[in-house]
Amino acid sequence: MNELRCSLLVIGGGPGGYVCASRAARLGVDTILVEGNRVGGTCLNVGCIPSKALIHAADLYHAAVMQSRGGMLGITVAAPKLDFARTQEWSRGVVDKLCAGVGGLLERSGVKTLKGWARFRDGKTVEVESETGPVLVRAENVVIATGSRPAEVPGLAVGGRVLDSTAALALPEPPARLAVIGAGYIGLELGTAFTKLGSKVTLIEAGPSILPQYDERLTRPVRRRLGDLGIELRLGTRSTGWNDATGELGLDGDNDPLGVDAVLVTVGRMPCTDGMGLDELGLRQNGPFIEVDDRCRTSMRGVYAIGDVTHGPMLAHRAMAQGEIVADVVAGHAAAWDKACVPAVCFTDPEIVSVGLLPAEVPEGVASKVSEFPFRANGRALTLDDTDGFVRIVSRESDHVILGIQATGPGVSELVSGFAVAIEAGLRAEDLAGTIHAHPTLSEALQEAALMQVSMANHG
Amino acid sequence: MANYDVIIIGAGPGGYVCAIRCAQLGLKTACVEGRETLGGTCLNVGCIPSKALLHASHMLHEAEHNFAAMGLKGKAPSVDWPQMLAYKDETIGTNTKGIEFLFKKNKVDWIKGWASIPAAGKVKVGEEVHEAKAIIIASGSEPASLPGVEVDEKTVVTSTGALALAKVPKSMVVIGAGVIGLELGSVYARLGAEVTVVEYLDAITPGMDGEVQKTFQRILKKQGLNFVMGAAVQKTEVNRGKAKVTYKLKKDDSEHVLEAETVLVATGRKPYTQGLGLDALGIEMTKRGQIAVGKDWQTSVKGIYAIGDVIEGPMLAHKAEDEGMAVAEQVAGKHGHVNYGVIPGVIYTTPEVATVGATEDSLKAAGVAYKVGKFSFMGNARAKAVFQGEGFVKLLADKETDRVLGCHIIGPGAGDLIHEICVAMEFGASAEDVALTCHAHPTFSEAVREAALACGDGPIHS
Ligand SMILES: Cc1cc2nc3c(=O)[nH]c(=O)nc-3n(C[C@H](O)[C@H](O)[C@H](O)COP(=O)(O)OP(=O)(O)OC[C@H]3O[C@@H](n4cnc5c(N)ncnc54)[C@H](O)[C@@H]3O)c2cc1C
Ligand SMILES: Cc1cc2nc3c(=O)[nH]c(=O)nc-3n(C[C@H](O)[C@H](O)[C@H](O)COP(=O)(O)OP(=O)(O)OC[C@H]3O[C@@H](n4cnc5c(N)ncnc54)[C@H](O)[C@@H]3O)c2cc1C
Repeated sequence: MNELRCSLLVIGGGPGGYVCASRAARLGVDTILVEGNRVGGTCLNVGCIPSKALIHAADLYHAAVMQSRGGMLGITVAAPKLDFARTQEWSRGVVDKLCAGVGGLLERSGVKTLKGWARFRDGKTVEVESETGPVLVRAENVVIATGSRPAEVPGLAVGGRVLDSTAALALPEPPARLAVIGAGYIGLELGTAFTKLGSKVTLIEAGPSILPQYDERLTRPVRRRLGDLGIELRLGTRSTGWNDATGELGLDGDNDPLGVDAVLVTVGRMPCTDGMGLDELGLRQNGPFIEVDDRCRTSMRGVYAIGDVTHGPMLAHRAMAQGEIVADVVAGHAAAWDKACVPAVCFTDPEIVSVGLLPAEVPEGVASKVSEFPFRANGRALTLDDTDGFVRIVSRESDHVILGIQATGPGVSELVSGFAVAIEAGLRAEDLAGTIHAHPTLSEALQEAALMQVSMANHG
Repeated sequence: MANYDVIIIGAGPGGYVCAIRCAQLGLKTACVEGRETLGGTCLNVGCIPSKALLHASHMLHEAEHNFAAMGLKGKAPSVDWPQMLAYKDETIGTNTKGIEFLFKKNKVDWIKGWASIPAAGKVKVGEEVHEAKAIIIASGSEPASLPGVEVDEKTVVTSTGALALAKVPKSMVVIGAGVIGLELGSVYARLGAEVTVVEYLDAITPGMDGEVQKTFQRILKKQGLNFVMGAAVQKTEVNRGKAKVTYKLKKDDSEHVLEAETVLVATGRKPYTQGLGLDALGIEMTKRGQIAVGKDWQTSVKGIYAIGDVIEGPMLAHKAEDEGMAVAEQVAGKHGHVNYGVIPGVIYTTPEVATVGATEDSLKAAGVAYKVGKFSFMGNARAKAVFQGEGFVKLLADKETDRVLGCHIIGPGAGDLIHEICVAMEFGASAEDVALTCHAHPTFSEAVREAALACGDGPIHS
């Protein structure tokens, strides 16, 4: 068997793995990356990027359809036609470009990339089923960055017309009638996009609310929008099975079965930790996740884990941040996870973002103050004809130190990194209130919410 | 006649924010405004209407240029100009009514009419004279004129006329490649006009980062704007609704003529103080016709203050607003403060341009050793996905201390991205502070972090 040696072996080429490998190589660490599929991982191939591309196309298509019915902007358009094959081709083009970019990045950084599935022999030896035959890699340090895959609902095996997010993103046509099971952010993002592209969507959620991690106020504009778009929301409802012959989805309680053309299952994701000899290593687990410390070290010396296989929000930028830390640690630099916050974005309609604590998460015994500034009173939102939502600041009442910032509304996905800077810096509301924000921008809503904390808003 | 603690003259962003703040701080407050509606230049004939038209015309541009590639087909869209103007007017209406509501809510009296100051402590509107312990002048600015160019607001227009043209012209000459000229020039270019921008200097958007200027001009050219640089406009002539613009090239003194249906004069704005009676009061002015003020925004006459476009500094709505807040606090006996080192500026073209703090030129001039962290939007996933990979984020940091000194962005959403740097600069952050903050994926804002990384040991995605 072919044998390779290196100081760092990264298993998995998603955002966690490729960032870790390229940074380590540039810091002078001799690095190999193994990827069974295509570099870019879930994020670039079947996650963030194709879903955002689909959402972007759906938004524009929907806007044009609305405009053709007599919109207010004064642009006259005939009802547009959707050539979905072309849309998918465009989306694949975007993905291809970005994946090629990651490939180039790894190459320029001096990472050796192996294509194949990795399997541990022991903590320092990994066997790779590569295209050119098996390769044995001996490494001083190994990083597990194998990511996650869609979770399944018992009795609803994915295949045929039962889709997971990956299959849904590759559909040749928007299904005429689509049931989405699970109202987390992925289900909402895709359900909304398909609705805008013409599907009749029913959203089925076992719990009492959509996006259960957030409070009712924060999700209200999204809920209202679902209704406006004609999405049927069935909360507190479970699916009981799929009859492929009749195309009916059974629902519990006294619900009649739902006739649909496809079922999309988005009930969360599971870490990929099986089938690669991890059991034999006996790494300490945290539930289904691999347990790591603040340097992403597992319970075995020289073995690290990052990204979706570790406990925490399953987000690409968290994976990347962990990847950077491990690269530094392996290169001998001082680095540890000490982020005050990880921003979260739902690319719903409108978008929802959150950093730090929600009002309900403020620990008992800490008096807090919550202020909320509506986009209704923001000039830029008015010029965009998009005024739903608000920016909300949660602070400690005693000194106005900012504990959390949430927002829902136009373009808030581009505001959230600024929110994160404020929390990382341990700012008080006064600091934000005293920073001049350009007019007319959506960002002014943050300053106004801060002014409300300190005294009162100018425009509220 | 009535007695007030404060009377503010002018209800633009400087004046109305100041008035609301004064009232919130417990002062008996009135605001005089001669216009039919509140909100000043900004809401009536400035920021808001221009951004409404930019938004609408941007949607049109998207439909024409990017839809097909995404599989969205249909007949080319056309423009219903009266409806587009109606949309703009509705946006103005919602905004100005909002201010009226805020005045009522905060108990600010709106005195309608044009004000003069017969003496310190007195404000005259019509026949009535009101008294006030403090007077704040926030009378704003008006378009600057150009010798040889006569504005009729039909064929030869200022920005005000350009926001309400009867129809979309086939051709337009824009005199001046500043923010207003380029924004409105973009609007009409997108709507189908052949637009030529004539600029006296050799670079567009004077004062901005040189790399941004170059990239910006290249992109605008690609969008169909024509540029004549280093050209001094001599005169305009109008004949049967058609205009001729005569200019001289500085390099060889040669004279040239351009013809157009509409000429937009966008050579800047000048402070507006007409009718206030400042001369008689002996209020000191700067050489450029601005009201001179001290650190507390007080003029040379005690008890009379001035803020916004009518005093020195960048003519920006948020600068006026911040001064309005600060002066309100001063007058109420508190400590208002404006950090003039951190005032962002935004251009709402596509892509947007945003800047804050020092430029390379200003740092060189000041002899500050600095480093540059630059990151192209071509390396940003979201930008690539939405056809907006053009442009970059450029962060300037102190070479020794890593403290962030300035930031210049040209690219998608620049106007909102700049604020994390404004906040960072306000607390004296280092580039590393920005780099160590987790930025959400996939967003344009990741490019800001990459630029911060580029100030240190290098960006990830390049
Ligand atoms: C539809 C959808 C939308 C999303 N949208 C967003 C979003 O907007 N923002 C966001 O932050 N996150 C989003 N996510 C989540 C994001 O994609 C993940 O958090 C991120 O990809 C995790 O990165 P990772 O590096 O841990 O793993 P992954 O990206 O999952 O990469 C793991 C890689 O490891 C490879 N691999 C696994 N096992 C082996 C092995 N044994 N040998 C070799 N290779 C192996 C896999 O093939 C894969 O390429 C989305 C996810 C989905 C599904
Ligand atoms: C086309 C255009 C686009 C612009 N875009 C932007 C932008 O995107 N962002 C930005 O920050 N800035 C922008 N500006 C600049 C911005 O509008 C000004 O900086 C801002 O309005 C200045 O505020 P102000 O309160 O000082 O004065 P103004 O807004 O000019 O308000 C002064 C008010 O005082 C009133 N007044 C004057 N004299 C008297 C008197 N004697 N009695 C009673 N009332 C009186 C006037 O009628 C006027 O309403 C733009 C300007 C233009 C023209």
